[in-house]
Amino acid sequence: MTTQAQILPGTLDLLILRAVSLGPLHGYGILLRIGQISGNALLIEQGALYPGLFRLVRQGLLKASWGTSENNRRAKFYELTAAGRKRLREEADGWNRLAAAIASALATQPEEV
Amino acid sequence: MKFLAYFRSVAAKVLHRSRVENDMDEELRSHIQNRADDLERSGLPRAEAERRARIDFGGYQKYKEEIRESLGAHFLDTLLQDIRYAARMLRKSPGFTAVAVLTLALGIGANTAIFSLMDTVMLRMLPVQRPGELVQMGIMTHGFGRSPRTIYTNPLWESLRVRQDIFAGIFAWGNTQFNLAPSGVAEDVRGIYVSGSYFPTLGVRPAQGRLITPDDDKRGCAGVAVLGYGFWQEHFGGAPVDGRTISINGHPFEIIGVSAPGFFGAEVGRAFDVAAPICSEAIVEGKNSSLDQRSAWWLHVIARQKPGINNEQISARLAVLSTQIFGETVPTNWKPSDQKRFLGWTLRALPAGTGISNLRSQYDLPLKTLMAIAGFVLLLACTNVASLMLARAAARSKEIGVRLALGASRLRLVRQLLTESVLLSCSGALLGILFAQWGSRLVVDYISTGRNEISLDLTLDGRVLIFTAAVAILTGLLFGVLPAFRATRVSLADAMKGASSTKTQVDARFRAGRWMVAAQLAISLVLVATTGLFVRSFANLVNLDVGFDRSNVLLANVDLHNAGQAGGQLATMREEMLRRVRALPGVISASESLVTPISGGVRDDFIVVDGPNAPKGDDRDVYLNYVTPDYFATLRSRLIEGRDFNAQDKAGAPQVAIVNQALARKFYRGIEPVGKTFRQYATATVLGAPFLIVGVTGDAKYDTLREDAPPTTYFPLAQIEGTLEHASIEIRTAARASQLAKPVAESVLGVNKSAAIQFTTLAQQVDDSLTQERLLATLSGFFGALALLLAMIGFYGVLAYLLLQRQREIGIRKALGAQRGAILRLVMRDVAMLLLAGVVAGLAITWATTRFVQSLLFDLPARDAATFALSVALLAAVALVACWIPARRAMRVDPMVALRYE
Repeated sequence: MTTQAQILPGTLDLLILRAVSLGPLHGYGILLRIGQISGNALLIEQGALYPGLFRLVRQGLLKASWGTSENNRRAKFYELTAAGRKRLREEADGWNRLAAAIASALATQPEEV
Repeated sequence: MKFLAYFRSVAAKVLHRSRVENDMDEELRSHIQNRADDLERSGLPRAEAERRARIDFGGYQKYKEEIRESLGAHFLDTLLQDIRYAARMLRKSPGFTAVAVLTLALGIGANTAIFSLMDTVMLRMLPVQRPGELVQMGIMTHGFGRSPRTIYTNPLWESLRVRQDIFAGIFAWGNTQFNLAPSGVAEDVRGIYVSGSYFPTLGVRPAQGRLITPDDDKRGCAGVAVLGYGFWQEHFGGAPVDGRTISINGHPFEIIGVSAPGFFGAEVGRAFDVAAPICSEAIVEGKNSSLDQRSAWWLHVIARQKPGINNEQISARLAVLSTQIFGETVPTNWKPSDQKRFLGWTLRALPAGTGISNLRSQYDLPLKTLMAIAGFVLLLACTNVASLMLARAAARSKEIGVRLALGASRLRLVRQLLTESVLLSCSGALLGILFAQWGSRLVVDYISTGRNEISLDLTLDGRVLIFTAAVAILTGLLFGVLPAFRATRVSLADAMKGASSTKTQVDARFRAGRWMVAAQLAISLVLVATTGLFVRSFANLVNLDVGFDRSNVLLANVDLHNAGQAGGQLATMREEMLRRVRALPGVISASESLVTPISGGVRDDFIVVDGPNAPKGDDRDVYLNYVTPDYFATLRSRLIEGRDFNAQDKAGAPQVAIVNQALARKFYRGIEPVGKTFRQYATATVLGAPFLIVGVTGDAKYDTLREDAPPTTYFPLAQIEGTLEHASIEIRTAARASQLAKPVAESVLGVNKSAAIQFTTLAQQVDDSLTQERLLATLSGFFGALALLLAMIGFYGVLAYLLLQRQREIGIRKALGAQRGAILRLVMRDVAMLLLAGVVAGLAITWATTRFVQSLLFDLPARDAATFALSVALLAAVALVACWIPARRAMRVDPMVALRYE
């Protein structure tokens, strides 16, 4: 089993938005999608997903509707709203800038200083 | 609004909680099932797959709680839980709860009562259509520092009515009394004369029949009347009125309808019983009608603004109107200089959405003062309850210790304790509203007098309820915060051990308790001193030398309008009435006069005295009265020089006068006035025949007790010009004055059956003029006594508690040989320090605040040293009484018992 990284506080919302942006998903599907797109590198306790989902719905970034899952079970499907799409773009930009800055900082060699 | 929206969303959440909960459960379960399906597909047996799925999911309840929190319903849940817990804790100590709730109920009730009076008198909008559009028409007289005049003559009103074109509607009304008894003892009700536009402009609907319209208000109209709803209910039992008539001052008026319930008129505090059109004033008053008199001021005018017309447009138009209106209604009998001033007057629109009110100007400052006093009482109640809570916190330190040890956060506990405080204050507020309903009704009855009946709609409105709710919550927080933080500052180890509080904790509570006591004493001193000022001011007024003896004098006001007699016969009839009254058993003496003392009526005119030093211009104005012989004897006013009037001073005989000392001082300056003469203006410019002064009488108050007796001259009633259709008879009686009302009425009616009589006593008439002062003295007296009681209880409670905490120390001192005297000194030194701190702070606040009520005090400086000294002495006495029991208990501490406590 690969070593999984603890998820940084505040990044779960970003991951949820990203996962849902690829198509409507139910809660469990979001979890699988996050695993898939992150190469199973992140450790998320499954239940921890839901407070985040409810919060994002409340903020109007996601909308939810009941449907049927591929296992033929009733499930609640989430999709991005316009506001959610916008938020995802902003957060992703912010994150990329931060990651680039950190990566550049870490990549700096002694002779370059 | 934001709050409301929030509240609605929370309420919706509670209502739909089961649905939301079900939704949530279903979603989470579906997640676990989906996970289990996947695991099963990877080869696990179903049961194992479900178990693993549940483990993978994590803390199911924990996440549900987190979801709930993210939905926002969490706060309300906790609140409900806290309230339930608080209610349980309060039920467990009924004694504490009862004392605290009662204390708070008194404090909050006092505030609600005064506020609901302020609300009705000053803030509430009139119960009519769109009250915000109403403006009162004021007249700017451009005198120095004058507030606008708001009273009109009928010619002025008629001129304004036909010329105005900027208002959607305009109406006028005048207050009066209607006597509904066809004859005999008068049955006075509150009447108003209204213009035809009155009801339509206000937008009032009839409860029955129809209301007065412009068609009813035309010169020479027939008598029609509209009844007020309350009056109709009371006197007609709500029976149909069509076709019935009532007698107004002896004239039949057809009742055409009843106004809507809740409508009391445009004047707050003065409801009307019967309304009649202005034109019918001519029917009631006959040849004395004011309809064409340019100097009879009796109407008020209110207009309704047209939408879309702003204040500047109104002002500009009114300026133009003013010139025309005042130009064509100049009072021809005024002096030329006054006429010129009259032409310069201008109209102005004043906001009138809350109606107009005499009460408002009269009771503005008194009500605000009482509001402040009530606020102080509440503050005192707060400190009292706070010290109770402090003592309770000590008793609960173990419970709180346990809860802290189990992991409750301190803030969570503070919130719990504050919920308890607010629950207490809200219970107090509920009870307080009951007290307030009863109290404010009592106050209105109190200031309502026979001459000036006051009716106010005191039903609770939203503003009062919001005020009370706000006060309750603030109060709860105010007295709860300090004890809550103190209570949660416990040392866990000690609390768990069950040890009584440690030295530092006692010290901390001790300091808080001491501050509380000092604050209580300071607040009480402010209240007691203010009360002292009002009581002494009232006493000054009551004990004033008014210049007459008010006890055992019956006043009979006889209306002879309908006596059906002409001038000369009327005079004879009045003399006959007086003769019969004088002959009644129990009557010591009787007299008749134009004006009775402190009735509010005034007759004044210029007198002209020759001589270089005589007053000039407006300074020549003196008060007049016309009296029969024996007037001074009946009122027991002193006749200092000369003679009283006698039977020879009749019409046609030489004109004579009696002047008072104030007039003698001002107009004659040390010269003997008896034997001198003065004159009056017969017309605006021509002087009449001289009056010979035959006597000088002592100064007597004329229309008010609050001012020095004005220069006054008395003339024989027999020499009055014109016809007198009213007679005011003063009757000095041997026994209680009111007992003679019946025989006097019989004597008067024996002379003429159509006479209408109204009785009062001179003492009552004087009393009625002091309602404001009496109200302040009584209510502040009540609040002051309440303050003393609260201070005493608080002082006792805190001291008893503090001494209990120090019991061990006192025990040790005694064991080491301290005498009872030494212990007493120890306690008393504490008490003296507290008292000193309280008194100093209290005096400082009193010193700074009482000057605001100077204008309410009669003949007393706002910083009256004697009052302050008395208040301090009273407070000290109360404090000593309060500390007596705890101090004695401390002296009796048995060292053995005290030491064994640990």
